[in-house]
Amino acid sequence: MSKPERVAARRHVLDTVAASETPEGILLELRPAGLGARYYAFMVDWLIRLAAINAFAMIAPFLGGIGVAFWLILIFVLEWLYPVAFELSAAGATPGKRAFGLKVVMDNGLPMTAAASMTRNLLRVADFLPFAFGFGVVSILTRSDSKRLGDLAAGTLVVHVRRADLRIAIEEAPSLMPARPLAPEDQAALVALAARAPRLTPARLDELAALAAVVSGDDGQAGPTVTRRVLGVAQWVLGRR
Amino acid sequence: MMTPLRFQELYERDWAELQSLLDALSTVTLTSGPRDGASGARAAALYRQACEHLALARARSYPAYIIDHLEDLTSRAHQLIYQQREFGLGRLRRLINIDFPCAVREHRAYVAVAAATFLLPTLLVGLLVYSRPEMILSVVDSDTASEFEQMYSPAAGSIGRTREARTDWTMFGYYIRNNVGVAFQCFAGGLFAGLGTLFFLAYNGAFGGALAGYLTGRGLSSTFYSFIATHSAFELTAIVLAGAAGLRMGHALLSPGRLTRRQSLVQASRESMVLIYGVTAMLLVAAGVEAFWSSATWIAPTVKYGVAAVCWLAVLGYFTLQGRHAG
Repeated sequence: MSKPERVAARRHVLDTVAASETPEGILLELRPAGLGARYYAFMVDWLIRLAAINAFAMIAPFLGGIGVAFWLILIFVLEWLYPVAFELSAAGATPGKRAFGLKVVMDNGLPMTAAASMTRNLLRVADFLPFAFGFGVVSILTRSDSKRLGDLAAGTLVVHVRRADLRIAIEEAPSLMPARPLAPEDQAALVALAARAPRLTPARLDELAALAAVVSGDDGQAGPTVTRRVLGVAQWVLGRR
Repeated sequence: MMTPLRFQELYERDWAELQSLLDALSTVTLTSGPRDGASGARAAALYRQACEHLALARARSYPAYIIDHLEDLTSRAHQLIYQQREFGLGRLRRLINIDFPCAVREHRAYVAVAAATFLLPTLLVGLLVYSRPEMILSVVDSDTASEFEQMYSPAAGSIGRTREARTDWTMFGYYIRNNVGVAFQCFAGGLFAGLGTLFFLAYNGAFGGALAGYLTGRGLSSTFYSFIATHSAFELTAIVLAGAAGLRMGHALLSPGRLTRRQSLVQASRESMVLIYGVTAMLLVAAGVEAFWSSATWIAPTVKYGVAAVCWLAVLGYFTLQGRHAG
């Protein structure tokens, strides 16, 4: 395996990324949600449903037999169709999932179809067996794409919604021409360091910059001045010349 | 020379335009068209361009914020452009007129197996309990058995009503919750190589058989059979069809053919979902009939049998004849 491939493979093991290829030939990265987030989301939904059922149970007696009928129908609807209705809405997630930044999508990243949503929610029964969602939990824990049985049959994924953190402030420094030609990976590493700089402590930043000091011709040296010079090379790579 | 900053400077305006187009297009509702003359064609063109930019940015290892921005844009646009909307009135009409009965015929082998798995235990256990009534106690306890007797006695104000329920409406809600749940269980059991489906079908069949055998033995056959005759046309067929959908799924897992097991499962569950839509609708009809017609004591049993015969013929005719020429 060549080096970049190995790096990519390791990253995938760490990040549990499920990629889907679009017709335009680009890979979209989907980040499957693990057991923890899904458990909390389920609990929130469960509490919402419980509250709705109990609230209706309080007014049902005043409506007589029809009240009880509506109450039973409400239980049925909340039990089976509550997730379907929310998954097919524009948000693509139940309130619980939305609270934890999750969303249900098709395997290829597209919004849910009605058939897929029905499938995954009706098969929740199978996930529940033998007790307390045993099969579902085992499936989520053992699969790298964290699918429960219903997700497998429906071809769906529960993913983390990407947080739109689009602008990362890059540490400013006077631009400096590199002391030697830089390979694309080196350039990327430098820019990544500059982007992380505001979030690192000065001492740690100096340490990391010392590792890259060769790019500014300060091989073997360390300290705030060297750091500024390394960040300057990053500015040059970005295009400030 | 192209640098990340230059790249961003050149195309930033296009990305911003795509972003605002996406915002405008994703708020389109059913009633109103796109807002402010937002153009889908323009969005599609910008989307393809953004895809190119993303590929370039990745290949050239541009800074993460540019790649993140483009990934966010392209995945949003991808969702909007390739989404499938498969609901609406037209789809519903097609489902009732063509898709559901055609799906039932397509799955006829599964329907036959499901029907046999359901009916054989019904007959066997029914005959067994009829010949030896004390056998009912190995199915339910004596309290429940006497409650059954009371539910189907000719003296009951409303047939089939449990002691706690006060009105037909209550029973309507109960039937919906209970019966649709049973059907969904029969379907979901298919995920365990069809074994769960076979179990639930046989179990429900045996239970129904035990009840029928017991009540017949106790001389309550006229109230009991006039009660179940009509709604069973919808209810029993629906349970069998839910089982057929489950068996289809189990069979797809066991024998995937040229697909991988997972592809085969996804395809089977997608196709059998049409059956489940139909099953749900039939059980809602069945719950209405059961709660308000079957339970009525003021309707003579002969009238009920007549209506039941019409319902059975209509259901069977619907499955065998409806939508045959639609293709």
